[in-house]
Amino acid sequence: MEPEPTVLDSLRKAVEAMPDDVPLRLHLATMLLQAGHRDEAVRQIGAVLQRDPGNARALGLLRDSGPGTAEAAGPPPADPGVISPERTGVPAPPPLAASQPDADPGEARQASHYDWSQAEDELRDVLPAMFVGDGDAEDSASAAIEEADAYDAEHAGLTLADVAGMAEVKQRLEAAFLAPMRNPDLRRLYGKSLRGGLLLYGPPGCGKTFIARAVAGELGASFITVSFADIIDMFVGQSERNIHELFEVARRNAPCVLFLDEVDAIGQKRSQLRHTPMRSAVNQLLLELDDVSGNNEGVFLLAATNHPWDVDSALRRPGRFDRTLLVLPPDAAAREGVFRYHLKDRPVAGIDLAKLARQTDGYSGADIAHICETAAERALMDSVRRGEPRMIGTPDLEAAIAEVKPSLGAWFDVARNVALFANEGGTYDDLAAYLRKRRLI
Amino acid sequence: MIELRQELARASAMLDVRRFDEASELLARVVSAEPESSRAWCLMARAHLGADRYTEAVTAANRAAALDPADEWPHRLASNALVHLGKYTDALRAAYQACRLAPGYWQTHVCVAQAALAAQRLDVATEAATRARGLAPNEPDVHFLSGKVSLARSDLAGAREHQERALALDPGHSGAMNELGRIRLRRHDTAGAIRHFISAARATPDERIYSRNIDVVLLRAVSRTIYMFTLIALILIWIPAVTHVDRLPFVIALGAVAVVTAACFAWMVLRLPREARLLVRRTLRAPRVAAALALALGGVAVAFGLVAFTPAADLAQVLPVAVVITVAARLADFAALRGAVRKH
Repeated sequence: MEPEPTVLDSLRKAVEAMPDDVPLRLHLATMLLQAGHRDEAVRQIGAVLQRDPGNARALGLLRDSGPGTAEAAGPPPADPGVISPERTGVPAPPPLAASQPDADPGEARQASHYDWSQAEDELRDVLPAMFVGDGDAEDSASAAIEEADAYDAEHAGLTLADVAGMAEVKQRLEAAFLAPMRNPDLRRLYGKSLRGGLLLYGPPGCGKTFIARAVAGELGASFITVSFADIIDMFVGQSERNIHELFEVARRNAPCVLFLDEVDAIGQKRSQLRHTPMRSAVNQLLLELDDVSGNNEGVFLLAATNHPWDVDSALRRPGRFDRTLLVLPPDAAAREGVFRYHLKDRPVAGIDLAKLARQTDGYSGADIAHICETAAERALMDSVRRGEPRMIGTPDLEAAIAEVKPSLGAWFDVARNVALFANEGGTYDDLAAYLRKRRLI
Repeated sequence: MIELRQELARASAMLDVRRFDEASELLARVVSAEPESSRAWCLMARAHLGADRYTEAVTAANRAAALDPADEWPHRLASNALVHLGKYTDALRAAYQACRLAPGYWQTHVCVAQAALAAQRLDVATEAATRARGLAPNEPDVHFLSGKVSLARSDLAGAREHQERALALDPGHSGAMNELGRIRLRRHDTAGAIRHFISAARATPDERIYSRNIDVVLLRAVSRTIYMFTLIALILIWIPAVTHVDRLPFVIALGAVAVVTAACFAWMVLRLPREARLLVRRTLRAPRVAAALALALGGVAVAFGLVAFTPAADLAQVLPVAVVITVAARLADFAALRGAVRKH
């Protein structure tokens, strides 16, 4: 019998509330399969296998969910409401009420009597671990970034510890920005000013926004992000008033990190904006920046751009965005982290992250996301061909790496021009050093 | 209506900051909701032009022209895209149409001059550029285009004057800097040309054509140096046969040619700005250039060796072989350098 949509909704909410409850997820997956929602069921099974790679019932369901089995296979062998622990190797899911806020805590405790660690030990060899050499490696990039509403201050939800690798960037962030912010006494002792903001620049898709959010988390400040779409919206109305309002919101929410993403759009060289109303918007931005530096009451300015050379030089003067930080393509540790993050909700087995990280030198985080997507697509197509689902493995990812080329070539072509011809006053010395190291100039 | 105006303003703002793909996406939504908006189609054409999608730009411009036949902008947009597609006659026709609709608007004359220049109709281009200058004497782009027309007519002094005027009106006009480089190049002043190309690349690092010009000019300089070296070597090879001199002066002559050639190249390099000297080093280390140099030097050395170590009596048989080796070395290194230029 097909479950009622309301039952499914309740189960979904329950799983959302208790994401680590494996039996509950399995129950939901079974119901979803019954209702013909194969894609969603497979996602749930993937999430179960992520938490419990050897879960025999999940593997059974994965097989059942194979192409052509979802609806045509008829009812499952047993009533999904009564899952036999003997058959699946896992206990029956707790009653639905256990996942509700007003459920009897005793029932929940009863459900947790099962010895998970022993079960994991028993099942460890059934399937290989998700990642080769996976000990207690932290799921560093697990904190999902949620889109911030325009002008809404939110909590960043991550810190620099959540940023995998990129030790050099973290070190420079600490020295240039975080240490003076966190140590007001020492700051006063050394006469270090808090004026000005930090401009993150580097190739696209390499984690500038993620780092900005982590900086906000480090400072324990709320976070306002202004995206390219917000910037464009500002120009459509009364841009000066909109920019002023944005800074006012930041001041009201102090301590607050105000992050201007793609600042080249808002702070484009005024010489290039001769015929547009955006010129006055840039002037207003300069005015607000000066105001912030004058009344520096816990508003920290961060900006990111792929093209710092397009940013009006007035914005880069002391007291404005006078410190820059180059965020380069992810290093090996960061690439491992990015792979881990993008594979965590997919059915994977035996992934050699170190090997993949070695093979993706020069790839951006976005490229790696694309690689994971391509590998998943490959495994899916293979499953369709064989009529049996299978896990994503290292060979899938290696084939995807061969297919997906690094997307940063165009950016580095421009960066080379900048390092060679436009590095006035050594503004881009770190970029030039990187390009020299990679023999790009 | 207000919503349409806002969406178009949003798209315009995106185009102003060169976000052509985002603008295209937004405009695709706009034109599907408001297919009768000529301005939306014009902006769409502009977005496609910016993203180098010329066929789509022509289609969008034609839609706009059909919706508002009295507007000159769609014709200018179409003309611009057609030039990029190599359809010069059609481009000129569209530019004329724009000019007919708005004869008092300098941009339409610039458009005609541009299309005529591409179509090699230099008299038409000159006339249109003159009209544009009359309408907008203080517009840098008008002088920039006039300079391009003058250069096409081989009027180097006139071209320089126009480009310098464009730079006086807009000191950051990288196109004018690049044109000044091209003028220098026509005067065989490699170092001067590179200096201008560097200025252009510095002013607009996003534009890759300027740095490409520098690379190509450097490769050309290397190619010329090798050409001179092999040419002189080719002449020297005949000396033992003609003058019956001893081997030592012959070998010394070869050494002297190599040293003088290298010195000439070094002198040219030393006149270059520091940034270009870095590029020379990189150019010489490029595999194709290194191969070309090795071929030239190796070929000439083998040819000289043959001539120098062959007894005087057998010189007549060996000499043609030496000449063939030298010429082959030159042809091979020329091919290698052409490959390097194409790669850029």
